[in-house]
Amino acid sequence: MGAPRTRIEPPTPEQATFLERAMTQYGKATYNFAYRLTGNESDARDLAQDAFIRVYKAWRSFQPGTSFLSWIYRIVTNLYRDELRRRKGRFQEEIPEDNAPQEFGGQRPLAVTPIEDYVERQLSEPLSLALAQLSSEQRQVVLLADIEEYSYQEIAEIMGCSIGTVRSRLHRARALLRRLVERAQKES
Amino acid sequence: MTDHLSSELLIDYLRRELPPQDDALVHVHLDTCTACRREYEVEASLTEALRAAAAREEVEFPSLVAARVWEEIRNAKPSPLAQIAALWRPLVALPVAAALVFAVFLVGPMSHSGPKIAASYYLEEHAAQQAQNPLTERGPAASHFIETSALDSDTSTELADEADYGVAATGVIDAVR
Repeated sequence: MGAPRTRIEPPTPEQATFLERAMTQYGKATYNFAYRLTGNESDARDLAQDAFIRVYKAWRSFQPGTSFLSWIYRIVTNLYRDELRRRKGRFQEEIPEDNAPQEFGGQRPLAVTPIEDYVERQLSEPLSLALAQLSSEQRQVVLLADIEEYSYQEIAEIMGCSIGTVRSRLHRARALLRRLVERAQKES
Repeated sequence: MTDHLSSELLIDYLRRELPPQDDALVHVHLDTCTACRREYEVEASLTEALRAAAAREEVEFPSLVAARVWEEIRNAKPSPLAQIAALWRPLVALPVAAALVFAVFLVGPMSHSGPKIAASYYLEEHAAQQAQNPLTERGPAASHFIETSALDSDTSTELADEADYGVAATGVIDAVR
């Protein structure tokens, strides 16, 4: 994602083993989560790469017995949020506020790939298209709640917000998704 | 719960996030209210559609990502602090090691010199006393002194030699006198 990288120390054997296992077991889930968040392969690759570098650097802070997937989703979510903030100055589009869901009309949440590429690839998926219309926070909560099937409590921990915020974001996001899908179905 | 259920309540019910009592109330209501039941099924179908879409679009973890991660780690250089520490380590370690060796060199003999000095001191004192008494046996008395007072360790032999040396020294003193 082009985020400024901090220095990396050479690995210890345990650290290298930890990273190897993390990428082997959770690389696919992490990459798919990143892909659904960003909506394009290039950013998803960068995001997943940054996430595993973060895993590598912070491996000692992972608590055995807890969910590794929740941990790395939290890392991905934070990195993505940081990246959006970093890009905010470079793109004219604003990150939609949570309490102001976007109207269906072509506004996209800081997508960086050309819209033509996106439409060409996913036009057959009205739901995916609708998902891309959500704000980044709404999309995150839908992914975590409906696709990854995390509880409100777990999502709140991953996203670093309250359960009430998770609930309201999910309700708004789903209401918007329904409207977008219904409109897309009518238009088609 | 005579009114229709809100979509928020239905979503929470769908996700099993309601407290047991509310969950039971919604369950009962859905059995009797067709409109709410229909609304619930729409919400459920949205969730199913999202999961199905995600499953269809699922892709493998690109090996390129793992390769880039490892490459970044391989190219990692220690931080300036770590580099300074690595440079500093021999600069500190060498003088410390040298100081330790020197200290061992100094202290090592001293650690053995305690009893030796004490023994030789007593031997010389004893020999001096005996030198004033020509009737006394010198050598055996000195050796006996060592055996009984000095040390029941391996150094007794060494000290016995020193005792002989002490006697010999006393002899020299006598000769001078």
